[in-house]
Amino acid sequence: MERTLTRGTALVLFGAGAVAAALPARAAASLRVGMIPDAGATQVSIDEKAPLRDYLSAKIGRPVELVIPTNYNATVEALGNGSLDFAYLGGLTYLKARQAYGVMPLVQRISDRQFHSLFITQTGSGIEKLTDLRGKRFAFGDVASTSGHLMPDYALRGAGIDPDKDMTVRYTGNHPATAKAVESGTVDAGALDESVFKALLDGGQIDKTKVRVFFTTPPFVDYVWAARKDVPAADQTALANAFLALKSPADDKILTILRGTSFVRADDAEYATLRKIALQLKLL
Amino acid sequence: MTQLSPHFFGSLLVPVGQTIGMACAGMLLALVIGIPLAIAVATRAPGARAIAAGLSALRAIPDLTLAILAVVLLGLGPAAGIAALAVFYTAMVGKVSAELLLAAPVPPVDALRATGSGRVGLATFGLIPAMLPDLLSFGMYAFECAMRASIIVGAVGAGGIGTELVGAINALDYARAAAIIVVLVALIAAVDTFGIAVRRYPRTGFVLLAIGVLTLWIDRPQLFALSHAFVTFAKMLPPQLSLPELGALPRLLWETAAIAVVGTALGALLGFAFGLVCARNIVPFAVVALVRRVLDTARAIPEVVWGLILVVSVGIGPLAGILALGLHSGGVLGKLYAEAFENVDRPPVLSIAATGASKLSTVGFAIVPLAWRTLGVHTLFRLEWNVRAAAVVGMIGAGGIGQALFLSQQLFFYKAMAAYVLITWAIVLAFDAFGERARAARLSAEGGRPRRRSGRTRARSRTRSSDRSLCDGSAGTGRFRERPPFEGRAAPSASARRSGARKSRRSASRSMPPNASARYPSRRRTSPVPRAP
Repeated sequence: MERTLTRGTALVLFGAGAVAAALPARAAASLRVGMIPDAGATQVSIDEKAPLRDYLSAKIGRPVELVIPTNYNATVEALGNGSLDFAYLGGLTYLKARQAYGVMPLVQRISDRQFHSLFITQTGSGIEKLTDLRGKRFAFGDVASTSGHLMPDYALRGAGIDPDKDMTVRYTGNHPATAKAVESGTVDAGALDESVFKALLDGGQIDKTKVRVFFTTPPFVDYVWAARKDVPAADQTALANAFLALKSPADDKILTILRGTSFVRADDAEYATLRKIALQLKLL
Repeated sequence: MTQLSPHFFGSLLVPVGQTIGMACAGMLLALVIGIPLAIAVATRAPGARAIAAGLSALRAIPDLTLAILAVVLLGLGPAAGIAALAVFYTAMVGKVSAELLLAAPVPPVDALRATGSGRVGLATFGLIPAMLPDLLSFGMYAFECAMRASIIVGAVGAGGIGTELVGAINALDYARAAAIIVVLVALIAAVDTFGIAVRRYPRTGFVLLAIGVLTLWIDRPQLFALSHAFVTFAKMLPPQLSLPELGALPRLLWETAAIAVVGTALGALLGFAFGLVCARNIVPFAVVALVRRVLDTARAIPEVVWGLILVVSVGIGPLAGILALGLHSGGVLGKLYAEAFENVDRPPVLSIAATGASKLSTVGFAIVPLAWRTLGVHTLFRLEWNVRAAAVVGMIGAGGIGQALFLSQQLFFYKAMAAYVLITWAIVLAFDAFGERARAARLSAEGGRPRRRSGRTRARSRTRSSDRSLCDGSAGTGRFRERPPFEGRAAPSASARRSGARKSRRSASRSMPPNASARYPSRRRTSPVPRAP
């Protein structure tokens, strides 16, 4: 008796599973917006970005779901397989997403057109210029990061240092981790995104007295908000307009989350130089 | 540093739910696919040998490697975790269930066969009822393993609490990271406790299946996003490495091997020290209880989680991997070594003690030498497991081939990634084969004792390998076993029953490792499952 009952329950459950699998998926009503985890990815960091989510859904008039994948690759693949509609990408991740899935650039911060990477080291390390890094332990951020890997790598090679041969290189995965690794002395120096570094100093997560900047790269074009190519034009326009409408000081709360002051339209043509560099370094 | 508000713990509910859901859904799929495969193997359907070989081979791909592949193919989130767990545990459920079913008593099955019963009939009315308690016990053990795997696959973006942990660590939010680790250890403990309940009241297990169905339902859009999966898979073919990548390969392999070997050595050292002060025949019970809690904790935190913590504190690189493997292995080996010390034959110990030897001499001249061989076997198993673990912790920044795999994935160089996956796979297979031979050599060196003399002898030799545990010997950490499994069983063991069986059947089942059915701890000592009449 007992066994029959168990078997019956099992049959019902398996049946339910089979039916569940067979039904067609409903169309998602909400827009799914992703951000590369340039400063960590958690449910908590999504909660911290709740004002941004609320702002976007109010402006667009649709519910918005904010997703922060754990790494850069996952963000791009999510645009490719349709699990994200829009994403905030770094320069190099944008190039990869454009190449693989033809994503559409929408908007970027005005600072993204003239972005810089910072080379940082400990206050008393004695490292003053790029050539001092020969033989040292060095931290890049995510291997697919523009300001955390591609451009610093390019700058080092320009100074005659081959990161593969002349230094011991580690990839920390993101900008705050690079800053932390330098602060703690795990590495002698590192390179990271200027806006993240400023936010870390302002927020007190990094001790100003322990870390200093010793080199700033020439400007390059970096982060961009992009759309999956199948997203309806109306939705693309709505999202772009929502960002373009952000004004300081009224929207400072949201602009702080985005680490910017105002937004401008983005265009694929800006990325020609970056694309050339990425191909040259075999990162694309 | 942000505050640990109630809201924070509230925000962990979704990830925790995802983690539990992924484990349930992955196991559900594994059962639905694995059990029929096991029946096919056990009833020797056409192609049974190929299926068995396929399952064994599949099992050698580490779970985190599968998770990376699944994230690439299915996108972020629980769907990828479910897929990775489903593949890994299908292989495990299929292989072990087949071995269990092959160990079923022969006469009833033969009687059924004589009535002209087909394969399905044989399985439904003969094999499965006979082995139901073993299957249930194993199923629950597998689920406990799946729960741990479900946590760690999150580390590469497959959703759940693992993803939260990586995020918190990356954001340098150590207070939250610590809180998540506490939640994670509590989750593992809760699942182990629930596992004991399920063994006692098997029907409670259907809660898990219901959760699995629900999770599959929620994640069905991603799970069936197959067109993207195929497009991406095509990008991995053919797997290939560029010349510089090939040049770097020996160093990567060396790094991974070093992490595995040095990590195991560190684990053995820690295990030996803690094992001595954790054996009831050596130190007072108060000390034992205390040390056990320490070991339980070290073991409850998976290598990958140790790795995540250590990468932050000692920096990215092989040292973090070595320490991660060492700490986790120390927890596992400490427990196993302590049991080995407790289980030594008493007469030699008593006779040494009777000479007036000090406690130290008794331990040094009787207990340790008597347990030595067992320690060796446990350590070998651990080394074998740690080869996988070394490849896996590489992916979270500990260097070696795992890191190369992760970086190529990050840069979308999928052909190189596929090549690294294949190399990892080959290494694990090679080490498994090596371990199998080393153990066989050890066993045959055990004084030429006839292997099949009695069920008890076999049971005991199998006991040694029981902790080879398909996940890694850390499941079921809630309490220590009073005795090794199978020795305290009232009913004759499956193999004892089988030893009276027909010759043809024995030779057929010998193609499977003889000790396979005993590779998971049985809890039936405390929780008898209603037996089939």
